[in-house]
Amino acid sequence: MSTFQEMAEAVISGNAKKVKEYAKQALAEGVSPQAIINDGLIAGMNVVGVRFKNNEVYVPEVLISARAMHAGMDVVKPLLSEAEVQDKGTIVVGTVKGDLHDIGKNLVRMMLEGAGYKVIDLGVDIAPDKFAQAVEEHRPQIVGLSALLTTTMVQMKNTIERLKDYPVKVMVGGAPVTQKFADEVGADAYASDAATAVEKAEQLMAS
Amino acid sequence: MTLTSRERLILTLNHEEPDRVPLDLGATAQTGINASTLYQLRKALGLQSKPITVHEPAQILGVVDRDVMQALGVDVIGLWNPVNTVGVRNTDWKPWTMPDGTPTMMAGGMRLSVDDSGNTYLYPQGDASVSPSMKMPAEGYSFDNIDRGGDYDEDALNARRDFSEDFTVFDDDTARYLESESERLYETTSYGIVGNWAGGGFGDVFTLPAPWLTKVPHGIRKMEDWLTAHVLYQDYIRELFDMQSEIALKNLEIYRQAVGERIQVIWVSGTDFGTQNGPFFSPEIYRKLYKPFHKKLNDWIHKNTNWKIFYHSCGSVVSLLDDFVEAGVDILNPVQCSSAGMDPVMLKQKYGKTLVFWGGGVDTQRVLPFGTPEEVRAEVNQRLRIFAPGGGFVFNTIHNIVGGVPAENLTAMYDAVRENNA
Repeated sequence: MSTFQEMAEAVISGNAKKVKEYAKQALAEGVSPQAIINDGLIAGMNVVGVRFKNNEVYVPEVLISARAMHAGMDVVKPLLSEAEVQDKGTIVVGTVKGDLHDIGKNLVRMMLEGAGYKVIDLGVDIAPDKFAQAVEEHRPQIVGLSALLTTTMVQMKNTIERLKDYPVKVMVGGAPVTQKFADEVGADAYASDAATAVEKAEQLMAS
Repeated sequence: MTLTSRERLILTLNHEEPDRVPLDLGATAQTGINASTLYQLRKALGLQSKPITVHEPAQILGVVDRDVMQALGVDVIGLWNPVNTVGVRNTDWKPWTMPDGTPTMMAGGMRLSVDDSGNTYLYPQGDASVSPSMKMPAEGYSFDNIDRGGDYDEDALNARRDFSEDFTVFDDDTARYLESESERLYETTSYGIVGNWAGGGFGDVFTLPAPWLTKVPHGIRKMEDWLTAHVLYQDYIRELFDMQSEIALKNLEIYRQAVGERIQVIWVSGTDFGTQNGPFFSPEIYRKLYKPFHKKLNDWIHKNTNWKIFYHSCGSVVSLLDDFVEAGVDILNPVQCSSAGMDPVMLKQKYGKTLVFWGGGVDTQRVLPFGTPEEVRAEVNQRLRIFAPGGGFVFNTIHNIVGGVPAENLTAMYDAVRENNA
């Protein structure tokens, strides 16, 4: 039988086909879907996150590993009943109003999913009201805001203002965003890269 | 003796210190200024109020007129290809108002539409019968590509077929235009001249979706798909670059015959290799996929001309600089000192003798848009002290001056440059 270690390795090397095979094989051998997710798929993405942060792997490898992880998720998730889905929490992410850039936001989404969170990705050019609607609908613990342009960073402030009455933490990130800016606009956390976004999410969940 | 702007540029390109630091504003599509901000800058300089001519519609870059160049002491001017980024000839200007109310003039052949939410769309070649290729969100200052091609079919990948319409050899009209326009700039001004040739941008995510083509583009066009292809489909990338470089070499020969030694700099590539934290992909992948093609074009240019070779790449590219130098890059832009590892002192010490830094003059992610005029001045002074000694520096902001930058920060920046040059 394949071990979790092999499944994790297949996620790390981005081999979607193998991940799928290992997941099916494990299910056939009676391994629980939740164990496959936690000890195989998520374990693999954790390694990818650390390597990405250390500049040992780069954006292409992360994207490919995330696809491989999803291939495994597609096999096991349908077998989980609603009650069995043990997401670590729900996070809504989106690029702020006026900004169409999403590669950074997508990497954050993949890393958060890879860490076991349920992520609702609203897409790009998302107005404060739309974030608020999504918070009401999905009841997330965290909202993640992304921006690339200096002309749209101000929308982070507007969005945080709009969300201030909801019981939700806000995390911000994007090329021009800094810890100082995050403090100024009243964000609960700032993440400088996708792997750090996972660390910050864990801290926010624990706080 | 006072040097002409062109002499000043040539000295600094040869790593000799001129009488003062040469200044660029608007000579390339990465060293320019958004029309909205240019309109405000003209006001702040006390120049005549008039609509701004937009020569590059995607980033809504304004033409920096001679009165602005004289007021600021700009030394460099751009030679542009006759057709813009959405495939429309830059002529027959007509009025267009930006979302923030700035009056501009757009090429007459452009077609734009606005939807109920206030998003503005651009149509390739001004053809509104096809789907738009670029979109600007409501209240925006620039356009981005629309994904028209959708997902690619991995069993039907053929780079030469997928990109068969993307690259074309310059026609006679273009060659004649480049010849007469370069003569006009060379004979009637004493500015240094950058030829915005733009044929060497291998894998530029701005041009991959081909916003100038009316036909829906096929193949790998989306940024994420393109990045994963660097690991999954290296042959596809190589095949694409092969085709592009074949046409590029033909166009370089036509360009050389048209403009001769009237340009001092050739703008070759605008592909971004860096993110805020590091390169998009590993230096090994750069060496394998890009470097041979960069070297091929750069070698041809160095062998056949005296032009200095200009490469633009945003982000942290410090781990690629040795390779850029080996590949024959002469000029690095925009020198994004705000990204990881791009320390100005280190860059000047390690690469100051081999690379000309064209940019790096002030941070544009925080200081220029959000800082005080005093902070702008302090940073400009510091950067000039680091980059100017010994030449090899052209002052410019880090990438274009975008919308929303306060005019008083711009005048503070140019005042600081002028005072340092006095």
